[in-house]
Amino acid sequence: MSKTVTPWLDNLLQEIEGVEIRRKDSRRVRIDIAADSLPTLLELLRGRAGYVHLSAITCVDWIDESQFELVYQLWSYESQSLVSAHIRIAREPGVYVSVFDLYQPAAFFERDIHEMFGVYFEGSPDMSKFILTEWNGPPPMRKEFDAEAWVNETFEWKEYQPDWLKEITEQGGGIVKTPEEARQKKP
Amino acid sequence: MRPENYQAISHPPSNEYELNFGPNHPGIEGNYALKVKLHGDVVVAARADGGYLHRGFEKLMEGRLWIQNIALVPRICVPDPVPMEVCYSMAVEVLNDMEVPERAQWLRVLQLELSRIAAHLFTFGGHAATTGMYTTMYWGVADRDQILDLFEEWTGGRVYHIYNIPGGVRRDMPAGFLDRVSCTMDYIESRLPDYDNLFFTNQVFVDRARDTGPMNQQQALEWGVTGPNLRATGLAFDVRRDDPYLVYDQIDFDIPTEAPGDAWARTLVRRQELKQSIHIVRQVVEKLPSVSGPVRTQIPNPLAWNVPAGETYTRVESSKGELGYYVVSDGGDKPHRVHVRGPSSMHAVQVLEQLAVGARLEDVAQIMFSLDACPPEVDR
Repeated sequence: MSKTVTPWLDNLLQEIEGVEIRRKDSRRVRIDIAADSLPTLLELLRGRAGYVHLSAITCVDWIDESQFELVYQLWSYESQSLVSAHIRIAREPGVYVSVFDLYQPAAFFERDIHEMFGVYFEGSPDMSKFILTEWNGPPPMRKEFDAEAWVNETFEWKEYQPDWLKEITEQGGGIVKTPEEARQKKP
Repeated sequence: MRPENYQAISHPPSNEYELNFGPNHPGIEGNYALKVKLHGDVVVAARADGGYLHRGFEKLMEGRLWIQNIALVPRICVPDPVPMEVCYSMAVEVLNDMEVPERAQWLRVLQLELSRIAAHLFTFGGHAATTGMYTTMYWGVADRDQILDLFEEWTGGRVYHIYNIPGGVRRDMPAGFLDRVSCTMDYIESRLPDYDNLFFTNQVFVDRARDTGPMNQQQALEWGVTGPNLRATGLAFDVRRDDPYLVYDQIDFDIPTEAPGDAWARTLVRRQELKQSIHIVRQVVEKLPSVSGPVRTQIPNPLAWNVPAGETYTRVESSKGELGYYVVSDGGDKPHRVHVRGPSSMHAVQVLEQLAVGARLEDVAQIMFSLDACPPEVDR
């Protein structure tokens, strides 16, 4: 089998409607496809073209267009090429189907996306929290969540003046120059 | 089943109990936990529990300039930080359609391979410690220190180098540095027979690691296993050769494989990769003096650097497997999205959960170390 993406991929993709294919280089192909057709595409890619390795699923938040983009990176050990399949789903309610029955690594990525973006994957084996088990706020990777603002609202700035440091400072030691002073240029 | 064949089974009282393995446990790699259900001392179910090292890198990167993220990415994987820097830099270079000078590419390969040697010494030292052989671990950490000394002289940082930047590397090597690299490689190669005697042919290790946490090639492919763990099942796949980046297509190296796919095979593959990495470093040391020129291309003002809109998925072979960065730019001075695909996000979660079942409790740590799971890659 050829080491580059071959025309048979094009023939295969003609079986699905609404597919836009862009070749980035000899090993990279980008496919934009309607969300409904993605499971069919993955089934064809896996079953007939040897793309058995799901490298990653990425969620991208396009808040201005009120959409989530899901990107599936698929690698074929035979043709040594990487296909990235891109779909767009509505930001609300943010629901899509799981591809776990085709690719088992999807379970981790879908769980992660659910946790970080709030996208629910129907049929995924486990949608429970993994990383943010003690977090009750909104999914933090969404663009509307401002982490810095949240920190400023939730916590307050405190001056660092423990007793042991005060004692040392009184004796002329400790922090002799504050960072602000240190940054000022010498006259 | 026909109704007449049905026989009610009376279940005996359960002898199963649950145990928290980690996050503070000498047998766990980093801050990570496994909740294991045991029957006697045999694991009947395991569930990974992450999040103890979550620092929100992906969110932080969206709020920082492209160049600022260079200081952030190596912290995602402590034992093997260089692939993170290189992979992120490569992604930004693709988005900018930027050429990297040849000398910088060779320097990057040298960094990557030194980092791989350091990471492997660390990992099989850890594996040895889980089988009770602490001497190997002390040796491994001490020999890794020799590499860290090289990094310190070269970049100023022992662990986090922040040396690779989009467009090349920060600066060239100090004078006479290649001689010291050669000396260190000679030293580490001279140590390999000692490691073989002490650890790899040690009957304690062989007996304990053989048939522990086995997976066959089909399972490995199903579960998304990559890197040395995949090669331990007999599949000779390596991103460096099969999806080449930098100048790896000009370098001669073998891809070691083993067939059994158990803990023994996985660690043995790393042992053989050490030799290959030393071989690669020697080739780079030989080649570098003949490659002259700049070590980085001109980049725009990094404080006002608007990267053209686009997306790319770049990947490299880290010491743990396939490391990928999916980077999206909306044309601004900060990334729109950065997704880090660490190899351990498969190995430390789904694969570990499956392989731990059926193992004895004392082998769980061994399985985790043989998979070279790196929790910060999972949590990010």
